[in-house]
Formats: sequence, C-alpha cells, structure tokens
Amino acid sequence: MEDPAIRIRELAKDRVEFVMTGVDLSFANSFRRVIMADVATVAIDMVEIEVNTTVLVDEFLSHRIGMIPLTSTNCEEGMRYKRDCPCLGICRYCAIVYDIDVRCTEGEMNVTSDHLTMVPPDQWDHEEQDSSAAEDILSKRGKNFGVPAGPATDPDPNRRPISLVRMRKGQALKARCVARKGIAKEHAKWSPCAAVGFEYDPHNKLRHTAYWYEVDEKAEWPLSKNADEEAPPGDVFDFTSIPDRFYFDVETTGSLAPQEACLRGLAELQQKLAGLVFACRKVNEPADAPGLQMPSTMANGHTDGFDKNGWGGGAQTATWNTSRAWANTAPGGGASSAGGSWGSGNAGSPDGYGQRGGARSPAANGWGNASGGATSPSGNGWSRPDGSSGGDGADSGWGAF
Amino acid sequence: MNALQRFELFTLNDGEKAIEVVEDTKIPNAATIVVAKQDHTLANMIRGYLLKNPKVLFAGYKAPHPLDPHFILKIQTDGTSTPLEVLQETCNALIALVGKIDAKFREQFQQKELEIGLEEPFGAPGAGRLPRGEYAEPRRANAMDYLDF
Repeated sequence: MEDPAIRIRELAKDRVEFVMTGVDLSFANSFRRVIMADVATVAIDMVEIEVNTTVLVDEFLSHRIGMIPLTSTNCEEGMRYKRDCPCLGICRYCAIVYDIDVRCTEGEMNVTSDHLTMVPPDQWDHEEQDSSAAEDILSKRGKNFGVPAGPATDPDPNRRPISLVRMRKGQALKARCVARKGIAKEHAKWSPCAAVGFEYDPHNKLRHTAYWYEVDEKAEWPLSKNADEEAPPGDVFDFTSIPDRFYFDVETTGSLAPQEACLRGLAELQQKLAGLVFACRKVNEPADAPGLQMPSTMANGHTDGFDKNGWGGGAQTATWNTSRAWANTAPGGGASSAGGSWGSGNAGSPDGYGQRGGARSPAANGWGNASGGATSPSGNGWSRPDGSSGGDGADSGWGAF
Repeated sequence: MNALQRFELFTLNDGEKAIEVVEDTKIPNAATIVVAKQDHTLANMIRGYLLKNPKVLFAGYKAPHPLDPHFILKIQTDGTSTPLEVLQETCNALIALVGKIDAKFREQFQQKELEIGLEEPFGAPGAGRLPRGEYAEPRRANAMDYLDF
C-alpha cells in the first residue's frame, strides 16, 4: 500500500473536508469513530434548578442546557476528568460553573445560551489544593474556554445564540449549571462533531452495496460529488481492487475547531494503541520488571489513573498528554525539528517499526523508560517522520498541542 | 437494566488487566486475546492490519455483546513469532502510521489556512465580537498557536 496521504478540499471554521488515501478501510473507519466518540470536550453535566416557571419541565430544560456546545479548545490538557480529580466535589480544575437567572418582565422573550454566565472559580471553589502541578493546567486552556459557542466566540455578525426556552411575562428561570470534561462514549453531548461524513467508492465499483431502485438505478441514485475524484467504472468487474480513497467531511458543533478534532482523534488512536502495546509487554515480562512503568493514563486509554501516578506529584509526571518531557528530553531529538517524541532517531526510516530508534532514551517518563532496566523485546522505535513543524523543534513533541 | 454505567465502557476497574491472553491448546501458534474496555474502534483497525502481515494466518475479532465492554481477538501465526509478538508489531506499525498521518494533517492544515486566510476557528478571537469585514489581522506565516508544535 502506498504512503498515507491527506488532501484537504475545504476548510472552514466549523468543518473540514478531506480525502485520505493509502490507508486501510478499517483504519479510516476507526478514525471516523474516534473523532466522533473519543475526543474530550466540555459540556454541562449537572443542573440545579432553583426557579422554573417556564412552560418546559426541569428535565426538559436541563437536557437542552446540556446540549449547548461549550468552547473546549485544548480541553484534553486544560481540564481534568472528574474521576481523576482529587477534589471532593467541584474545583476549578475539573469543573466550570454557570449561572442562569432570567425573569421576563415585559411581553415575551427567548432564553438563550447568551444568558448563561460563567461564575468565576473564586466564588465557588474554596478548596485548598497544592497547586504546583495544577496551575499550569489552567494556563493550557485555549481562549474563551468554556464560553458557549455562539456570538461571543464567533466573528460572524449573523451568528445567533442557541435558544433554550421562550418565556412570557411573569415567568422566570434560575439555575446553576456545572460543566465537566467528558467524551461522547459517555454521552453524545460531549461529541465535538455534529456529523462526520464518510464515503468511499462513490461509483460502487467494489459492489459493497446494492442499490434498490424502481425503474432506473442511475437516475434514482445520483452520484455524489466525490465521484468526480475517481474514474468511472469500466466494463469489467475488478475483483482484486480494494477501497483506498476515503472522503471525510468533519463538521464540528463549535466546541472544537475541526483541526483540533482531527488531530486529537489521531492522538487518541495512538494512545489506545500504545495502551495495548504496553499491556502486551506487561504480559511478556514479569509484572514488576524494573522500568516498566508508564503514565497510568495509557493503561486504559483515558486519564483515570489518579491513584497510581497522581496529579499531585511533580509537574507533568502524570499524564500521557501533558508529558512534553518525552519529546524534549530525548537526546538528539530535542533540538531537531524532526523530533517526534517517539523514537526521534528514526525520522528517516520509511516505517518505523522494528527499529530501535530513540525509544530507549532515558526519557523522563514513558516508553523510553524501559532503558532503566529491560530493553524492550521488540524494539519500540516509533518514528514520527514529521519535520513539518518548521523551526520550533524544542516544543515539537507528539501530543504537545 | 443490565447496562453498565456509561463510563465503565472505557475506564478500567481497579486492578483490571487491559488484556488477557489465552493460548490455544488445539491450534498451533494461536491465541485468544481479550482486550478490556475497548471496542470496534481499536479492534477492527488492528484486525485489518494484522491481516496485512504475512506472518499471520488468521486474525479476527468479535465484540461479543453490546453491553460487554471488551472485544475478543483471535490470532494464528505461521510459527515464526507468537501471536502476541505479531500483535505488538502491528500496533507499533499502526502507531507509526498514525504519526505519519498526523504530520500530513498538520502540514495540510497549515497550508490550507494560509491559502484561504481562515478567520480564527471558534473560540479563538478574543472576548470582543468582531464583524467579519473588519477582522483584518492577517495570519502571519510563522504565527504560532496552540495547534502548532
């Protein structure tokens, strides 16, 4: 199979259309699934309603409030999951609190996402935490973090806020909402995507599907615009061909930019795979082999490992994604722009597996750590032949968004 | 009623092992690997790339039940390496592949953003509301944001 390639056909602030080639159908589908279900965002998860005299019942309203897309730029690093947070209830590192307090005094009005006001953490988070490591969690958040996607975050003057309920004179709504970080596998409101279009073989050359039709198949099933990208089928059915061009159309809800949704999706895939490799190595080697430690987040693909490698410790020891240390401490990888964090020595190899590149470096954390004791049996030289990062190599670790 | 809490679909319980390997007693060089708290996303991808490996005679997976948060992967090799080694090899190859695609994506995004002079994505412009026409600050070629390395 040829080298993987991406061609972006269209990019807008909330969607990207691209063609992926050189990968297997199974990979393309996994990528689609991971973007839809495994990329973390922020969404309102708990609503305490104090006054509700609107026509909608409390449940109805809290469901609507939960669906509001909140700007989640760099949520993966900028916020903790509730389950990973040492706090007892809510704290500034794992929650965002909003108030909504609207009363209709005249005529009719719409309650919208604009009425949701963020409450500064000082007013609700009184817990004392040792904040050495935690401080920089907050600094990783993108601009407007937690702000409902709408007029406040979009330069488009025609952009309208999201309607929640329509009120009449004398009606009121007062509630306090708590937003949490989560993924769409738990609830669809955490999905960064409104939709992901996915198509291959627009001419149905592979006959993976059979079209139902009344009279004329061609007339009743017009070709999609992706069909322009491929030659129309010949007369003879080619039974050896396999799908190799995949047309994606990733549409986000506004919580994440499409760029981030895609790149995070890839990072998430990598994390899942790395977790599996790690688990395999654990089976091969005795459980307590020296040096076989990894950020606990990798074991299950998600950062739930507070117990083992906790947040509270030194800066950046705990999580997979925050450990820029990987990239930076690898000798030889640190300064060069090709320094993917994994096996930075391998940038030239066509397909870095089986190579013993930089992976055995005495990196502060993670895989490289194996050099402290056992050498990895299969030589995990994961190369990331990248080099696209331009001049700034120092920061160019994988996962260092 | 029998469904687990949703978060149990993707978080390992205390002490739960990520994978469990059972070597097949009747088929040579075969093993069944139960991968906990993962689904088709990982399973199908791995199966697809295992089949590309000439050492692999058989690879298949199943997610036994929608309420069971695990999948079962069966691998048989030709004997030159064990199923687990092949699995590791495949995963490493896939990680490299993802890395390559990631690099391609970044390159393409950068190019495309320059090309169309994309206004900042959602959430990016400061607190103020900037009408479309007046948002004049061009994107500098070497501008860095959080998505850059």
